[in-house]
Amino acid sequence: MRKLLAATLGILSAVGGFVDIGDLVAAGQAGARFGMAHAWVLLLGVVAICAYAEMAGRIAAVTGRAVFDLVRERLGARMALINLVASYLVTVITLAAELGGVALALRLASGVPYLLWVPVAGIAVWVVLWRMRFPVMERVFGLAGLALVVFAVALFWLPTDWAALGRSAVTPDDSGQGWGAYWFVAVALFASTVSPYEVFFFSSGGVEERWSADDLADARFSVLVGFPIGGFLALSLIATAAVVLRPAGLSVDSLDQVAHPVVLAFGAAGLAVAALAFFAVTFGAALETGLSAAYAAAQYFGWQWGKRVSPREAARFHTVLLVSVLLGVLLLLTTVDPVTLTEYMLIISAVALPLTYLPILVVANDRTYLGDRVNGRALNLLGAVLLLVILAASIVAVPLAIGTRMGQ
Amino acid sequence: MRIQVSQELLDRQLVDRDGRLVGKVDDVEFGLGADGVPYLRSLLTGPGALGQRVGGRLGRMLVLTAERFVTDRPVAPLRIPYALVTRVDSAVWLRVRADELPTSPVEEWLRRHLIDRIPGAGRASG
Repeated sequence: MRKLLAATLGILSAVGGFVDIGDLVAAGQAGARFGMAHAWVLLLGVVAICAYAEMAGRIAAVTGRAVFDLVRERLGARMALINLVASYLVTVITLAAELGGVALALRLASGVPYLLWVPVAGIAVWVVLWRMRFPVMERVFGLAGLALVVFAVALFWLPTDWAALGRSAVTPDDSGQGWGAYWFVAVALFASTVSPYEVFFFSSGGVEERWSADDLADARFSVLVGFPIGGFLALSLIATAAVVLRPAGLSVDSLDQVAHPVVLAFGAAGLAVAALAFFAVTFGAALETGLSAAYAAAQYFGWQWGKRVSPREAARFHTVLLVSVLLGVLLLLTTVDPVTLTEYMLIISAVALPLTYLPILVVANDRTYLGDRVNGRALNLLGAVLLLVILAASIVAVPLAIGTRMGQ
Repeated sequence: MRIQVSQELLDRQLVDRDGRLVGKVDDVEFGLGADGVPYLRSLLTGPGALGQRVGGRLGRMLVLTAERFVTDRPVAPLRIPYALVTRVDSAVWLRVRADELPTSPVEEWLRRHLIDRIPGAGRASG
């Protein structure tokens, strides 16, 4: 149990990163349109985020410097500021989408209209950020997010044709939707799996938890358990959509439809667990994105940040936190569809990916930082190959988005 | 001590004696010694210095934003004499405490007008 608790930072980072509202819908869509044909993308993304989160966690534990510190140092003041602006925009719009997700989950559970829940969600998220202790926050929302496992359970409960499911995972097929659309979904799914705010949050969380070189084993455990669990949950979302929605020819454009397979398997009890799980992951993701936005800004400018000091000693950090949540709420109140917005954001995010991951790889090899805890040869090879994949995704993202009209 | 300013000093985190975060090394200032040899006189931190180094429209926007919070413009960077530096590794460590240095005007303004007015501002949540 103590071991599992050590992994909650990784679980929350992963859940907020790739099992959040955007993915509840995107994974559902991918499954409903292409079956399991994108399973390999998810796998590749999980390997990439594990490799880079391990490096970022190690740097944070040994030096106390989180990811945006490294971005500023290695890219210089100007490029890092451009990265900050891009990352902040992406993260705050994602935060808005998560707040929307919290409101949608509350509507699913209560029937009270969504827009009424939006300010409630905003206030609740801000109060948690203002007052709750970091480790408590991480454990409550990391563990509650595991309720999503109900999707994997539903898969066993339903008459799943495992052989066909396995076949569709190993023989990618465009399902008559066109390869442009296939690759567009692939890039979006990959970008969401390696969203930069996951490493901002994970490394800053390590500093908040006062990791030192003695905690490296815990940090690694958190990465290697937390992110794969997140990947498994996302995979089970794709699989249930592939099994239930795809044969019926249903498409996914709302949270109710994502929950449909679970309702089919377990009825009202299933709906209740699914609503709880949606609430937990979107709330957790809102905390993660809100904090990440403020961490990135504070680390770029060198401000005092974190929940260890009183808010009045980190006034600029807490102002950014407050303003970000407020912006998220205001954005939702314009009645824009947050999930559609997230899809656009994933493309911007894909373009900016190398600006975050290159500095991590460079510093992970810097002996003045890490002494003899620099990357080994195997990890460097893996990191370099993954960086090429990240670079490729970043280059093709915009042409694909335009060429396929956002994957139509 | 031999140090490469652009590699090891610029853009690093400034940390006080107790581990509080003071700012980034946004720029440096050289002085000319009595013997005519230039030496590293002080580290500059604050949006004024940063904005100049970033340059362009982005840099100007940064300075303009910061100037909204101060009364005496242009916003002057905090100068930290290089003699106060004890150690340079992944951060630049100072021998003084953060509260012995002037507080950033933006931090001061936001603390007084916004954060301090919210209940619980004085307690760390941990």
